[in-house]
Amino acid sequence: MTATAQAPAPVREAIVATGVARSFGSVHAVQDATLTVPAGSVTALIGPNGCGKTTLMLMLSGLLRPDAGTITVAGHNPSTDAAAVRASIGWMPDQLGSWDNLTCLQTLTLMGEAYRIPRATARARGVDLLARVHLSEFAERPARVLSRGQKQRLSLARALVHDPGVLLLDEPANGLDPRSRIELRTLVREFAGEGRAVLVSSHVLAELDEMVDDAIFMSQGRTLGDDAAAMVADAKTKYRVDALEPQVLHEALAAYNVPFEAQEYGAIVRIDDAHKAAQALAWLVQQGVAVHRFGPVGSALEQTYMAMNEERR
Amino acid sequence: MTTTAPTGTQPPAAPPASAPTPVAPPPRKGNPWLPTFRGVSLMTRIELRRRRPSTKGYIFYGILFAIVIAICIAAAIFTPAQLSSTNFEIVLIMVLGVGMLIAPSLSATSINGDSGEGVLAPLQMSHLTAGDIAVGKLLASWTVSVFALVALSPFLIYTYLSSGWRLGEMLITIGAILLVVLTFTAVGLAWSSIAARAVASVALAHLTTGFFLIGTIIVFGVSTLLVTEEAPDRDRYIDYGQMTPAAEDALNDAYMTGDFSALNADDYTCIDSEWAYTVTHTEKVAWILLMNPAVMITETAPIVDPETWEEDGRAAPGVFANVHQLLSEARLGPDDELTGYEPWDECADLERQISAAAQVSDEDMEAEWAETEADWEARQREVANLERAPWLGLGVSVLLLVGSMWIVINRLRVPYKKLRSGTRVA
Ligand SMILES: Nc1ncnc2c1ncn2[C@@H]1O[C@H](COP(=O)(O)OP(=O)(O)OP(=O)(O)O)[C@@H](O)[C@H]1O
Ligand SMILES: [Mg+2]
Repeated sequence: MTATAQAPAPVREAIVATGVARSFGSVHAVQDATLTVPAGSVTALIGPNGCGKTTLMLMLSGLLRPDAGTITVAGHNPSTDAAAVRASIGWMPDQLGSWDNLTCLQTLTLMGEAYRIPRATARARGVDLLARVHLSEFAERPARVLSRGQKQRLSLARALVHDPGVLLLDEPANGLDPRSRIELRTLVREFAGEGRAVLVSSHVLAELDEMVDDAIFMSQGRTLGDDAAAMVADAKTKYRVDALEPQVLHEALAAYNVPFEAQEYGAIVRIDDAHKAAQALAWLVQQGVAVHRFGPVGSALEQTYMAMNEERR
Repeated sequence: MTTTAPTGTQPPAAPPASAPTPVAPPPRKGNPWLPTFRGVSLMTRIELRRRRPSTKGYIFYGILFAIVIAICIAAAIFTPAQLSSTNFEIVLIMVLGVGMLIAPSLSATSINGDSGEGVLAPLQMSHLTAGDIAVGKLLASWTVSVFALVALSPFLIYTYLSSGWRLGEMLITIGAILLVVLTFTAVGLAWSSIAARAVASVALAHLTTGFFLIGTIIVFGVSTLLVTEEAPDRDRYIDYGQMTPAAEDALNDAYMTGDFSALNADDYTCIDSEWAYTVTHTEKVAWILLMNPAVMITETAPIVDPETWEEDGRAAPGVFANVHQLLSEARLGPDDELTGYEPWDECADLERQISAAAQVSDEDMEAEWAETEADWEARQREVANLERAPWLGLGVSVLLLVGSMWIVINRLRVPYKKLRSGTRVA
């Protein structure tokens, strides 16, 4: 991205949360969440349905008061400076809500005005944002005619009207078509490039793989911290080797004491980086193993997720 | 100026097409909640735009206004040649009715409806304070009653011209109407911030309105039972049972002719009869009526003297003046002289008739009647001219308004501690 003069002032740790908890009556929605999101990076929030992702985001955004724990967003504490926290956050809720009677451009203009941006500026920014989310042709149409994915994009544009330094995106890819998902990915990377901190929750893990710098796993209201990070790091080193005769592959690996997981199709081995992968492939071919497929096992996040003790609420 | 800077001052490079317009929202501190002028007007604007009625809504409003306008036209057409305030008062009641029907219905779905649609939380995230959102929503719903007023203003002005009201009096009463509508709009808003479902909040809003308009009258009616006292009384009657037939005939003749001179008082014995009658001290509970917002409005209307209204340039007492009279009657309570019971003593009456040398002359009788009537008229004037008492109703209204808005603002403040039960933030 261009060196942006108007980029939000850099805050190293845009979001810091420690030991955050919140319950609704007897439901412990979030029990112990700890996370940091540095400015200029994208962090994923991953977990099964009902594990408390939305609740955690609400607390980070200053809409919901935590029962316990401390939160700092863009250097402000939501329990004393909630307005400052809200002002620095662009929040895209998972619930789609739009003013049915108003056009997309009116929606963004009024929203900008709600952030005390002069009307003309708010309108100009609305036009730009609609272009950015590819809704320009819908600028003058009422929001009620928009399709689900279009509403989702309008919601994303709405989160950006005040040029926030921190973005909380709750399942932004929900209902988007494949092309829009790829565009969303690019957009999210751009946001990080502009110096914003992005926390994004999603259930489409393969997608997150390509856009996030870090991932936070949640389960039953708890963030999994270092264990999960180690699992992701481990998953990233896994390579899948498919051989025409798996037997030959296993023997070659065993002969040189290379640790591997034997599979029907071949084996899974751990390789630290791309250089070593290239060497390993050359070595295998040299050993006379007929390798017909070689590559990372797949989504590291997905593997970690599946490996996590699975629970659903 | 143009020549001095050949190279240095090129216009700043236009931002690349993809870079969005830079914006600089002002920084925020703390967690303000007070309404601000800018915030309230923006919120009102948003609400008015997004709550523009749908086609069905327009049809509903159209029908409602057709009915109201028909009534108003009737009121305008049947305006008699002389001054008459009733028609004007009917139009005022229409304005109040339309406002009370629509504005609280709108406000009662405003907050829980928005929250359900998911458009409330994004506003709470913005620089709008809880006070901005609350007051903006209040004013937007209330504006409907202002529209009703404007729509009906031709009738209002036409009937006003022959109503005998002064301009200032009209403005005060209209102000009172708008205040009452504002109050119950705020009550509706408060219910919508408390109840999770729109059905519940609309019902509760109308129930509250109903309680204050009708419930106060019922409560007043019931509470009069508590202030009803029994007053013992002793009457004396002539005992017809112990009378000789001749004496009875003589008495009947005397009543027929009015000539009592032939009667002998000793022929008649007297019996005592003790019984209880009730006195209702309405003055002790009249304040319940004064809390009624409709009564408060009629109490702002000008006083019409039943005797001198023509010289005063007024119309004959209309609806509001009659309400004022009924209310004043309740406020003053029973009048001992007029309605208070005077013991009836038939024997004493008879003795007086017999002993009176002359019969009671017609003039005396008429004088007595005239006196009674003068008493009654004096009472009527006193009642009609009793000082107006809108203050209690006004106080109740303002209290409800402030209390409701306090609830709404508290409910809208984020971060939420407690949520409306059974709802999510988003
Ligand atoms: N307002 C509320 N009242 C009661 N329970 C709630 C409320 N909000 C959330 N919960 C409960 O808290 C838990 C966490 O909910 P949350 O919405 O944070 O889950 P999530 O991780 O966002 O799930 P999903 O992936 O389905 O979006 C759930 O069990 C939910 O039922
Ligand atoms: Mg969620």
